[in-house]
Amino acid sequence: MNVVSCQGVMKRYGRGNALRNLSFTLAENSITGLIGRNGAGKTTLLSIIAGLQKQTSGEVRVFSENPFNNLKVSANTIFIHGNMTFPAAMTLSELLQTAGSFYHNWNNQLAERLLEYFSLDPSQNHNNLSKGMKSTFNMIVGLAARCPLTIFDEPTSGMDAGVRKDFYRALLKDYIASPRTIILSSHLLNEVEDILEDILLIKEGEKCLHMTVEDMKEYAIGISGPAAAVESWIAEREIIHQQTAGVNGTYAVVRNVFSEEGLERARLQGLEMTPVSADSLCMYLTSKTKGGIDHVFS
Amino acid sequence: MLLNLNSLTPIYIQIADWLENEILNASINVDEKIYSQYQLAEMFNINPATAAKGLNILADEQVLYKKRGLGMFVSSGAREIILEKRKNQKLSGMVKELAMEAVQLNVGEDELVTLIKDMHRKIKEDMK
Repeated sequence: MNVVSCQGVMKRYGRGNALRNLSFTLAENSITGLIGRNGAGKTTLLSIIAGLQKQTSGEVRVFSENPFNNLKVSANTIFIHGNMTFPAAMTLSELLQTAGSFYHNWNNQLAERLLEYFSLDPSQNHNNLSKGMKSTFNMIVGLAARCPLTIFDEPTSGMDAGVRKDFYRALLKDYIASPRTIILSSHLLNEVEDILEDILLIKEGEKCLHMTVEDMKEYAIGISGPAAAVESWIAEREIIHQQTAGVNGTYAVVRNVFSEEGLERARLQGLEMTPVSADSLCMYLTSKTKGGIDHVFS
Repeated sequence: MLLNLNSLTPIYIQIADWLENEILNASINVDEKIYSQYQLAEMFNINPATAAKGLNILADEQVLYKKRGLGMFVSSGAREIILEKRKNQKLSGMVKELAMEAVQLNVGEDELVTLIKDMHRKIKEDMK
């Protein structure tokens, strides 16, 4: 069953388009990573799915319903993001209690144990927390709510490396204990890719790729070697990325459509073939010009 | 074991290899239940779907068999299948490297075959 489905979704802000013609579906009980550059439209997309904003055109269905102003979607969805505000007069423990009254599956024991583990003072106010601690508290709310659709928008911003690692593990463990549909947007793909099932990559408001992490790791291949040899090998192929490497060397990334024999022949010509990580692939696919930052200085 | 996340080998293959080792060193015996995708996901901190992919490779190779609703179990021929597979992979890989080196050194096919035959004979004689 699909929990989220988007069909030709467009969102216009003023004159610019934040989202254009975006179509995809997300299956029930999976963890999807939403990846894209700054300004690609990740937060816009997530807030439309959560029902906080209305799309300009196109169709969005969450639990088979239109999410905007929808009680069923609100009750079954939690959207954790950096700009969450909580009543200033309430302490963290009061906030958890109140949040619990909103969500049917709320696990208070989990919330309290996480609060203690991350050394958050229950009598503290949310406003007084540091950026990383705010993110940690928001993450606890997101996990404990155990909503059938759980959305985390850049949940780890401000968290230190140790807390991030703990968060990913907590997310995976709680997902196994209580399967649900999770969307996680992040800039740190190499940190989260192991716990993800699918990756949805968007670029300038459009879908770029949507596939499993494992498929993405095999999607492209890196070829390096003497410039002339690499050039002849990649001629008439779809070049994803190209850069100079050392003296007279070239590194190119192309679609991985070669047979074992083809790769073998390339190796015999002195070319080196290397896998391209999902993180690097996403970066190459979403860069504006194929030359990258070097282009600015040339 | 820790997964090598930067390795050329995909994670689900590493999971399958690890499970094969568990069977070879008799940590899990014939007709015993193997770890579930969820146990593996938690042990290695990976998505359960990735773990399932590793298990399914072994099921396809008939190292494991499925019991509906109960999970996967080690099949009676598991050891032999794993040993046979590893032999084929390792040996053919070494032969490939040998052949590539021979091509680079301009060693002809007959010369290469003679070299292999001589070495094979010598090793057998030494072992007597």
